[in-house]
Amino acid sequence: MHIHNYEKIWLAASVLLILLLLGSVTYGAVGPGVAMVSDSEQAIDAGGLDDDDRFSEPRVEQVGENEYEAYVVAYQFGFQPDPIVVPENSTVTFYVTSRDVIHGFEVAGTNANTMVVPGEVSKITVETDDRQEYGLICNEYCGAGHHVMEGKVNVVSQAEFDDRNDGGNGE
Amino acid sequence: MGQNETAHAPTDDASGETEEFDPIGTLTLIAIYFVILVLSWVYIYYIEFLGRDLVVVG
Repeated sequence: MHIHNYEKIWLAASVLLILLLLGSVTYGAVGPGVAMVSDSEQAIDAGGLDDDDRFSEPRVEQVGENEYEAYVVAYQFGFQPDPIVVPENSTVTFYVTSRDVIHGFEVAGTNANTMVVPGEVSKITVETDDRQEYGLICNEYCGAGHHVMEGKVNVVSQAEFDDRNDGGNGE
Repeated sequence: MGQNETAHAPTDDASGETEEFDPIGTLTLIAIYFVILVLSWVYIYYIEFLGRDLVVVG
């Protein structure tokens, strides 16, 4: 079979392009460690969140040196806690669940974005950088008040975070 | 241009050997598209996606 030289070049280029795309995704997973939303969490009772260790009191908790866990409940129409306050330059794992219908959990303008399903716990781990205030929005239509369902994720300095946790019991 | 080239093609094939059909314009166009594709991908993945805050790592 006769294949024109130019056609060979185009074939080689398209194979190269495919390798580049696959290579980038592989690099993303191996280098910066980009991961998917974990599906390893056990199902929970969406109606019994008040009796749940993690979700009866939505909060941010320190679990290791520079490691924090945020237990977040999405509901019609908001997020608890609000704002979610986490320290800068730390590793934060969000455990997000819903007490009513399907919601979304999207930290606006960032890659932190997951669906929130009642009875399921969505787990995403992110690394925070400098101090910043992020908006938090629901990106799954969840009812009449969907468009006003929002929250805040505040990345604050370590000192401010400690202050809030020591003195902020009444909050 | 294309018509002329296809008109010549059968005689070339019969005699074999020489390749008169050289769509250099098409080659150049595809090369440009290719470069645009690669640059867009590099921008979208490495700069926009990986450069954003709060990359999900687990």
